[in-house]
Amino acid sequence: MSSKVTIGSDIRQARRAVEQLRMEAGIDRMKVSKAAADLLQFCTEQAKSDPFLVGIPATINPFKEKKPCAIL
Amino acid sequence: MDQTFLVNVFGSCDRCFKQRALRPKSEQLNYCSLCAEIVKATEGLRLSQMLSSYSQSILCLVLAVHQVAERVEALGQFVMKTRRTLKGHGNKVLCMDWCKDKRRLVSSSQDGKVIVWDSFTTNKEHAVTMPCTWVMACAYAPSGCAIACGGLDNKCSVYPLTFDKNENMAAKKKSSVAMHTNYLSACSFTNSDMQILTASGDGTCALWDVESGQLLQSFHGHGADVLCLDLAPSETGNTFVSGGCDKKAMVWDMRSGQCVQAFETHESDINSVRYYPSGDAFASGSDDATCRLYDLRADREVAIYSKESIIFGASSVDFSLSGRLLFAGYNDYTINVWDVLKGSRVSILFGHENRVSTLRVSPDGTAFCSGSWDHTLRLGWAWAAKREL
Repeated sequence: MSSKVTIGSDIRQARRAVEQLRMEAGIDRMKVSKAAADLLQFCTEQAKSDPFLVGIPATINPFKEKKPCAIL
Repeated sequence: MDQTFLVNVFGSCDRCFKQRALRPKSEQLNYCSLCAEIVKATEGLRLSQMLSSYSQSILCLVLAVHQVAERVEALGQFVMKTRRTLKGHGNKVLCMDWCKDKRRLVSSSQDGKVIVWDSFTTNKEHAVTMPCTWVMACAYAPSGCAIACGGLDNKCSVYPLTFDKNENMAAKKKSSVAMHTNYLSACSFTNSDMQILTASGDGTCALWDVESGQLLQSFHGHGADVLCLDLAPSETGNTFVSGGCDKKAMVWDMRSGQCVQAFETHESDINSVRYYPSGDAFASGSDDATCRLYDLRADREVAIYSKESIIFGASSVDFSLSGRLLFAGYNDYTINVWDVLKGSRVSILFGHENRVSTLRVSPDGTAFCSGSWDHTLRLGWAWAAKREL
């Protein structure tokens, strides 16, 4: 902090910090067991559509190099 | 018990077996005064140890997602490797972002170059040379028609992408949207091409209107450089999370500019933050070599992803589509893939020859791209990713 800051603004900053902390302390919190269970549920529901978990057949991979096809 | 009458009994102590004056005890055992003190002390110690172990186990039950996910089937080891390497940058790759078309991506590097790639063919589609070096932030517009980038120039510039081969990208008019008083560390378009959110080394985040360059909202609260930000995934969501050198991750309301929640459990700079796909949680990667998961509704840290063998900082994190996997790039040149629910590592990817600086999973979750100080970007994808149980 700059030495030029007056004591008045120190108090103002501290007041603001206290107000912010009061506001943060006042929010409604859910129990971790419930919140974690919700995360778990979301995960298991979405797992079927997650390519990294389910895997996709290599034949439809658009990243693969396309080899030119010659018609004889 | 009122002992006004002390009976001195001499005999052999049941603990040290020496001939001593014995303290009368209620049980059959007789101890000398020294042994009596020792027994009392060890009993007390055992009790306190029992109590502390109970309280520790209670804390563990409350703290982590792993306990709740005990019954979930383990994933087993993944075998993943680099499938494609994008070469073309002349110096360290610092940032990258995917386009919503799941195919194109933009990357920026220390030499001032910003390149748009087609990841399917590895062709470069556009290249811009910025007037500054260290382009630390780049982002693709949701429409795919523009890119934003910035770095040591303290600005965020938006370049419209032109598909007309006759037009020179550099000559195309670009607008300086954001002005900060220190370097730009991260930028992201909001749901539209019209607004852009930036984070800066000056300790603030800001929301700008792209057309006019006007500052719509600024976010003050971090005590040091802000290094990263991520927007909440929901369509109607108007919150974002930012992480900084003050070890804090802060969640902001975009309309009011207020910080709604703050989390300070990391032990060092937070390099990367990313929302969980459901929007109810977010992960962070830090220089303290750990990644952590914070739940927004429980308002606390709910998981920590670390190993004693990992001592280098995590520079960037991203979730797979379901949120089951957490990809994290580290400064020890590797990418670790974590099982978010179990807290264990399922894969470690080698390939980069210098620290991994940026990592993003593609919008449809089929591939991920990592950029590194070794001047390259590497792609890995989900097709035929073998799983060994």
